[in-house]
Amino acid sequence: MAKHVLRCTINDQPVEVLVQPYTTLLDALREDVGLTGPKEGCGTGDCGACTVHVDGKVVASCLMLAMQARDRNVRTIEGLAAADTTLHPLQDAFVRRGVPQCGFCIPGVLMAAAALLEETPRPSEEQIRYGIAGNLCRCTGYTKMVEAISEAAGTLASQRSAR
Amino acid sequence: MRRFDLVLPNTVEDCLKILAERGAQAKLVAGGTDLLPQMKNGVLKPAVVVDLSGIARVRQVQNGNGLRIGAAVTARELEVSPALRGPYAAIAESAALVGSLQVRNLATVGGNLCNAAPSADMAPPLVALEAQAVIAGPKGERRVPMADFFTGVRQTVLAPNELLVELIVPPPVANCGGQYLRHTPRRELDIAVVGVASQLTVAGGRCTKARIALASVAPTPVRATAAERSLEGQAVTPEAIERAAALAIEAARPIHDQRGSIEFRKHLVRVLTRRTLTTALARASA
Amino acid sequence: MSTMKTTRDVKGVGVSIPRPDGPEKVTGRVQYVADIQPKGLLHAKLLRSPHAHAKIVSIDTSAAKALPGVRAVVTAKDIPHLKKKAPTRAHAVLAIDRAVFMGQPVAAVAADEVAIAEEALDLIKVEYQVLPAAVDPLKAMQPGAPPVADAGTEADTSEALAHSAVAIAKSEAPAKAVNISQQARLQRGDPAKGFAESDHVLEKTYRVPMVHQGYLEPHAVLAEWDRNGLLTLWASTQGSFNTRSEVADVLGIPENQIRVIPVECGGGFGGKIRALCEPITAVLAQVTKRPVRYVMTRREELQAGMPAPQVIIKLKTGVKRDGTLMAVDAETVIDSGAYSGAVLAVSAVFIGSMYKWPSFDIRGFEVLTHKPSVAAYRAPVAPQTIFAIESHMEQIARDLGLDPVEFRRRHLIKPGDPMVNGQPWQSNGAHEVLSRIAEHPHWKTRKEWVAAGKNGKRRGVGLALGGWLGGLQPTGATVRLNPDGSLAVLTGQVDIAGTNISLAQIAASAYGVDTDLVRITTGDTDTAPVTGLSAGSKTIYTVGAAVLQAAEDARRQTFEIAAAELEASVHDLELVDGKVTVRGMPDKGITLATIGKKGNLYMSKTPPVLGKANPAFSQQAPGFAAQLARLDVDPDTGEVTIHDFVIVQDVGKAINPLGVEGQMQGGAVQSLGIALTEALMFDDSGRLTNPSLLDYRKLTAADLPNLETIIVEVPSPAGPFGARGVGEPPIVPAPAAIANAVNDAVGARITELPISPERIALALANGMH
Repeated sequence: MAKHVLRCTINDQPVEVLVQPYTTLLDALREDVGLTGPKEGCGTGDCGACTVHVDGKVVASCLMLAMQARDRNVRTIEGLAAADTTLHPLQDAFVRRGVPQCGFCIPGVLMAAAALLEETPRPSEEQIRYGIAGNLCRCTGYTKMVEAISEAAGTLASQRSAR
Repeated sequence: MRRFDLVLPNTVEDCLKILAERGAQAKLVAGGTDLLPQMKNGVLKPAVVVDLSGIARVRQVQNGNGLRIGAAVTARELEVSPALRGPYAAIAESAALVGSLQVRNLATVGGNLCNAAPSADMAPPLVALEAQAVIAGPKGERRVPMADFFTGVRQTVLAPNELLVELIVPPPVANCGGQYLRHTPRRELDIAVVGVASQLTVAGGRCTKARIALASVAPTPVRATAAERSLEGQAVTPEAIERAAALAIEAARPIHDQRGSIEFRKHLVRVLTRRTLTTALARASA
Repeated sequence: MSTMKTTRDVKGVGVSIPRPDGPEKVTGRVQYVADIQPKGLLHAKLLRSPHAHAKIVSIDTSAAKALPGVRAVVTAKDIPHLKKKAPTRAHAVLAIDRAVFMGQPVAAVAADEVAIAEEALDLIKVEYQVLPAAVDPLKAMQPGAPPVADAGTEADTSEALAHSAVAIAKSEAPAKAVNISQQARLQRGDPAKGFAESDHVLEKTYRVPMVHQGYLEPHAVLAEWDRNGLLTLWASTQGSFNTRSEVADVLGIPENQIRVIPVECGGGFGGKIRALCEPITAVLAQVTKRPVRYVMTRREELQAGMPAPQVIIKLKTGVKRDGTLMAVDAETVIDSGAYSGAVLAVSAVFIGSMYKWPSFDIRGFEVLTHKPSVAAYRAPVAPQTIFAIESHMEQIARDLGLDPVEFRRRHLIKPGDPMVNGQPWQSNGAHEVLSRIAEHPHWKTRKEWVAAGKNGKRRGVGLALGGWLGGLQPTGATVRLNPDGSLAVLTGQVDIAGTNISLAQIAASAYGVDTDLVRITTGDTDTAPVTGLSAGSKTIYTVGAAVLQAAEDARRQTFEIAAAELEASVHDLELVDGKVTVRGMPDKGITLATIGKKGNLYMSKTPPVLGKANPAFSQQAPGFAAQLARLDVDPDTGEVTIHDFVIVQDVGKAINPLGVEGQMQGGAVQSLGIALTEALMFDDSGRLTNPSLLDYRKLTAADLPNLETIIVEVPSPAGPFGARGVGEPPIVPAPAAIANAVNDAVGARITELPISPERIALALANGMH
């Protein structure tokens, strides 16, 4: 079985990597590209731990074949913060508000939250909850996550108006 | 997942060539949201997987004389599509309910229909709106009404060398409205215990056409024809709706499984039929 | 043991400090076992029995071994030195001649790729002779039921002892039914007379299915042997020393031949205490002489993990018309799956010990069935038991027209009152917690809120009280002064709940520096002092005490060195802003950095400051929590919408309020999952019908409101700064609170969990209201 060449952009960098045809995007990111931020919590699209952005949209990377990402734009948690900052406002809010406990769901939640705020810059609590409803968390009960996302939305909005 | 070969056609023709050669051992993948879980569970072990994501024709939504929906249009695209308003709202509603956002950005209407689970959310509204499936094969294209598309649990009229390319929804008539509702224990990441799509056309204070399609209460999506007949030609009063809701149960042959009992499913058919008919009437009259 | 009631004037105990590992976690840099990619890694997969009970007639692995890329295929025949009666599930590394639950490992493969390992499993041919299975515990406990355990296996009480330190008298009657693996009976007074004198007798059966702990990271372990025969395990575990002991016992090798390195654990909640995958992975690594990694799939976790037991409680109470308690009779059946190990004692104790029953007869049975065996899940058996007793107490109050809070308060135990086993209740905040929740506006205005329901939805408000007794386990810690004046704390305690920052705060306050100057290191079994499980709500209570004592010891040593340097008495010294000075003479001092450096200089006569403590414990510190729910019910579909949820919890002393809130909210949502949506559903043949997260339903953010937390502090006599354990109490009350709120809303008393829309809708449709 021959490998395929996957060419795509990952976290703003052009990538060319050999992958098995049966590799999922999640496994290719974790094992062939070395980005272990996205996690496998279930492998069947039911937990959100593998959430990445493909062409700006959140997807369950465990359900995509790696080759389905050819010529597309992929972003993982490792590429969330801008190159010139340490932490994205979402990441900063999560840290200060004590959101991460075991941490396993966090990369997926942050990617879902980031996409939510791109589409809905000032989300209501309900919109936030639905925005991360595809991400299961067993440790936190979600309340601090929602508060942190709301705070980050405010931070991002004032950053935008400051430009 | 076990190992497999992967083929990446760019056109429908290329895809049909591959299916002609290897269709019997091949599976088509678009969003992968039903296929990959089944492959990971060992239920399906195809030697070849054919990726449809490179074929442009199956990815468009066109609103002209009726609707043409490419088979690989995603649930999310349908959820937010401006073309799916008014009488077509139930299609968007059903698409909005699939899984989670991470799943809806991948899941396709074609995949939902071809996987043909009894709980397929996007099936009932398309049945109620009398859509047709456009199927490409070695002898050209054929059309199959949605109501005839499903033949059993996870079984459709598609042959191994055929490909669903698009759905055609007839042009809307005036005073037509519909809704899709389903019951799930959770608000997201869930699957229908029962789903109901109702579509009503009214004129002169009476119902001229009623279509009611049910999910998860039979091996395939089914029309509640007795309920439909009870409404056609009548004024759509709350009593008429209640009567139809009770008659809808007759079309249901649910099983008992870990998602719901027979009794609860029949109960829900009545409740959801009542609610979707009430909303369909309000939308048709608006 | 010093308990230090006041903190020094430093940034330490009581401050909400974010966890220092936050930045690593939000950037995806933290490594879990599945992220570790050593050279030459092989992937393990297990072939699992498709039958709940079957004789294994033959296994043919020849085709699997011949598949290119397969490096080893192992069955029980290949590990005869491990072949013995399996006293615990961990000892049954691979099924020998009989499979006793669907999903039990029968063969193991190590291969270059996961996909190849899966194909190898397909090629292994196993011949089974299917046997009748005992699935329903009520049937399994009858004489003549299909036997589960190998004859002569002792009931396994190791978990019970770790979790709750509750002693219970064993029943005298010998077990005639082969699947009753533990039983107990507690009696006081004359219940028959009590019932005869009662005006109100209420009898109900409460059922809670098996549920899974639900950690997001499946079990994962990486094993590698070196050429000296030393085994290293990188494990997702709640206790590296416990893992080491179990693996050593299973493999029959000395403990010091094993090094367990606890890797960041993606959730445990009790499910990652016992060894599960470690022994077979170690065997594969030994056979292949390569590092081997095994990561369970979610399907395997649900089918063949170690869930919480199914619990069936028959509860009968007798009460006088004015609410005087007369008698309680209870029978608890705990379905432990294929191996013994449920915490039977806890249920029996909670049924009769929350409220003052003058007479009782409480019987408990642990029953084996052909299902995956159980392990702990956050306050094991308490949510199920409190569901029964708190639903029941609420119903009694309603039936008699009594205020539900006053009725509870009147009979709620106080410290010193006897528990059903005769032990006195330790100091606790049960009354404070109950009073606090009763003061909440949601409770006080419940009638008005319910009356304002609209759109056909029916509103209800309900509450419940529960708690956890608190575990105990010996432990150790060291505190070291660095040459820069900072502190290094070493424990072996796996940080699964954010306890490390709290331990740093304790060390800071006990020693006398800001928390920023304290760093906690979690060592492995080679480098750390022996320590116990991160479980039982005991990390802060025990390891916190050890860290506190070690920090005090380090402070003493520091002052002795300073006293000698400054030619002063230790009693005249104080530590302020990193400098030890003579009180009243700020210029006469020596910095911590100087002291630290002196302890490390060539030819120096100053010893390095190394504080140490290695305590054991005898006094528990129970933690109580009360929860209140405001919800509405769609009477046609049975759907429940929670509008508000409040958690009141006595934590003794909130070492880190931010962390405590997170524990309260997380535990509450697990509790709500048990209440509303979660169940492992087995059919009559012992097959799990919902082995995916689609059908094993955990609550999403869209299903929940913001959870309000109220911290109450009733200091514990022996905990560090008065702290109590916080992890387990919040998972206990919600099922009863929800049942009570639903009852308030629609008049239906649901006694079987989960309180699903189906149960509510059909109860209403069939006239139960």
